[in-house]
Amino acid sequence: MTEKSDPAVLDQPWRVWASVAVLSIVAAGIVLGILIIPIVQGQSASIDPFTAICRAIGILPGSPARPQITDRTPPTPVSQVVWTPEVLQILAEAHPERGKAKVQEVCISCHGENGVSVAPEFPHLAGQSGAAIYKQLNDYRTGSRTNETMTSIAKSLDESLTADVAAYFAAQPKRDPNPLALAEAPAAIIRLVELGDPSRRIPPCAACHRPGSGGPIETPILSEQQEKYLVAQLKMYASGERRNDVYGRMRAIASQLSESEIEGLAPYYRAGFK
Amino acid sequence: MATGGCAVRNVRLLCLAHFWVAFGAFLVASVLGAWQMWVRSPLGAHTGTPGQYFMSVTAHGVAMAYVLTTFFIMGFGYFVAVTALNRPLPGQWLAWAGFGASIIGVLMVLVTVLGGNASVLFTFYPPLTASPWFYIGLVLVVAASWVWCVLMIIAMTTWKRANPGQPVPLAMFATVANAVMWLWTTVGVAIELLFQVIPAAFGLVQTIDVGLARTLFSWTLHAIVYFWLIPAYIAFYTMAPRAAGGRLYSDTMGRLTFILFLIYSLPVGMHHLLMDPEHGNGTKFIQVLLTAFVSVPTLLTIFTITASFEIAGRLRGGRGLFGWIATLPWDRPMVLATGLAFLMLGLGGFGGLINMGYGMNAMIHNTSWVTAHFHLIFGGSVVIMYFAIAYEIWPRLTGREHASLVPLRVQLWLWFIGMMVMTLPWHWLGLQGQWRRVANFNYADPIIAAWGPLVIVSLGGGLTLLVSAVLFVRNLWALHRSAVPLRSQRLYALAVHPPRHVPAALNGFALWNVLVLVLMLAAYGYPIAQFVIYPSPAAMVHRVEPAMR
Repeated sequence: MTEKSDPAVLDQPWRVWASVAVLSIVAAGIVLGILIIPIVQGQSASIDPFTAICRAIGILPGSPARPQITDRTPPTPVSQVVWTPEVLQILAEAHPERGKAKVQEVCISCHGENGVSVAPEFPHLAGQSGAAIYKQLNDYRTGSRTNETMTSIAKSLDESLTADVAAYFAAQPKRDPNPLALAEAPAAIIRLVELGDPSRRIPPCAACHRPGSGGPIETPILSEQQEKYLVAQLKMYASGERRNDVYGRMRAIASQLSESEIEGLAPYYRAGFK
Repeated sequence: MATGGCAVRNVRLLCLAHFWVAFGAFLVASVLGAWQMWVRSPLGAHTGTPGQYFMSVTAHGVAMAYVLTTFFIMGFGYFVAVTALNRPLPGQWLAWAGFGASIIGVLMVLVTVLGGNASVLFTFYPPLTASPWFYIGLVLVVAASWVWCVLMIIAMTTWKRANPGQPVPLAMFATVANAVMWLWTTVGVAIELLFQVIPAAFGLVQTIDVGLARTLFSWTLHAIVYFWLIPAYIAFYTMAPRAAGGRLYSDTMGRLTFILFLIYSLPVGMHHLLMDPEHGNGTKFIQVLLTAFVSVPTLLTIFTITASFEIAGRLRGGRGLFGWIATLPWDRPMVLATGLAFLMLGLGGFGGLINMGYGMNAMIHNTSWVTAHFHLIFGGSVVIMYFAIAYEIWPRLTGREHASLVPLRVQLWLWFIGMMVMTLPWHWLGLQGQWRRVANFNYADPIIAAWGPLVIVSLGGGLTLLVSAVLFVRNLWALHRSAVPLRSQRLYALAVHPPRHVPAALNGFALWNVLVLVLMLAAYGYPIAQFVIYPSPAAMVHRVEPAMR
């Protein structure tokens, strides 16, 4: 093989120059992106070069081109419940049998032994989401939600007992998650549930309240719920009397609903309960 | 023999099986796509529920982006390996095993998507997670594609051992470049799925590091587009010049192009995360700078293929500065598709430059502009070349010739017109702020109502595409029954100066793999390491459950 066509000889300049080209591009990117641009941008935003470089790399938070916002006004949450991994762990490790003892001692008189309530103004809790019950009990305990009876009962529970009670009710027979299969409702109500009304900024109820549809974890299951209870809660949200909904979602929605829509939605979700 | 006739018989069934799965999925996904356009328009507003819409978008995206592409590319790779090297495919039973595994994977995906357990679109962005079987199905498809990669590399290395010092034919070199790139590409999403998403989907963990997941997905997310694109470029370089009646202007330019794709498509994915908070501006800058270099292979290609076409046009008697364009044989599907693909590539590439810029991206981020962009560049220029490739190689697989080229030309023109009519208004709507990833628009709102007419025009484009898709499948089906026997002719173009000796750098990938590693360390080293150094706040996993019983 002649030297001219020897691949190793032909290859050498390729190896050298390809590496030089690629490394120069990387070096240019590093010098411009991590040194020069942040330092220059930092100067006009009164950020010292070291901080600007750290921000460009991502070691410090914020942009090298803007002062970091230092507003530290404490937020005032509508609920004290935060879904941290620790809280989820408490929920996951709750003991339904310990909860049952408490239920038979206290809850039974209104919500029934299995969570089937004894009067239309009390919600059914059977088969409700454990996270939903846990959040409401905690909100009663911390004052985010108030009710003459429930506030004092909730204050007597500690965190783990709250989770146990929630787990007990959650373990009761599941509800039918899809009331459509159960009830004939007016087309306007089904439309509200399935599509909402964007012109009034009302999202579909099913966007959160159909299990698995993407709502926050504390979203309660509404199907097979007491009609009178649902009407009362929607009206309390609409008036702002109840305000433990995160981001005011339910207040914003309920205040847009007409009286007849509230009266129509409640039986839709009430449907099918035996 | 230039067409590799004996060798083709060796993989005939294998290729046809891959292609028919690809195009079957394509046809179904086209119907879904047209339905989605209808639902989003004022004409079909409030048809179906959001749950059905997102299920449809998921099925459409998975079928088009994963099934059509992966199966087509694997089938095409097997075809190139036997025809360009003119040798039987090594380890054919492995190829069939991979095909079987990927069919099982596709069925798993199908069942979970249709069951409503996987309406997460075709991107892997936690904390929203689908049924674990959806992800495991996709992992099976990816694992099968790794088998394909290994077979492509083995086919090239055994050929090189048998032909020492000879340049690997360009079509095979490019196919292996794609296989090597795909192995690098899939590492990111494989880590994300195996170590983050699948454990979360199974319920083994309740929280997930969203920043890390998005970063790992960005590693895969941009290079995967080049995996889909490279077959189109293989056709530009190795088939279009011959179809036009000329020669390839430069073989070296082709090799350089595929090498540049290999090294610059990977360390650039962070330009999909320009609006994300988890990375510093400097690391984003480095990746945007590298992104700019991805335009180089495309510019090289436009130059080389235009020069090749000019040679062909002048050989056919074209004179003057532009006279050669008119003399090109535009009636041949491969030539026509190349011309139309270039037009769409030009517009789509221009849009891509806007997406790449930090400031300009901020204006179009998460708007319809982005959806329009990837439909134009992938659905347009890449898929139209898939059609052209299928039209070119199908006769060699079936031993039959198209009875008439008219329905083929009509189909290609309809695809081009449909794609332009669909995506140009869509881009414009994106500039006006029309958001993407929503199930419906409220046309009662006066601002949104003003979008209505453009959305209807866009729907017209979508319906044209559906007609073209049906015609495409019909054309291939008709070929299986054609009475015209195959006219044997050369498939791959010769270069003006066919390569005799090429440097090892242009005949293999050792050097380039080292450079990819260096670039990936520079681009993704710290951005990924930071999640280990400073663990970020975890997000709760949100699992998709069936929306309806």
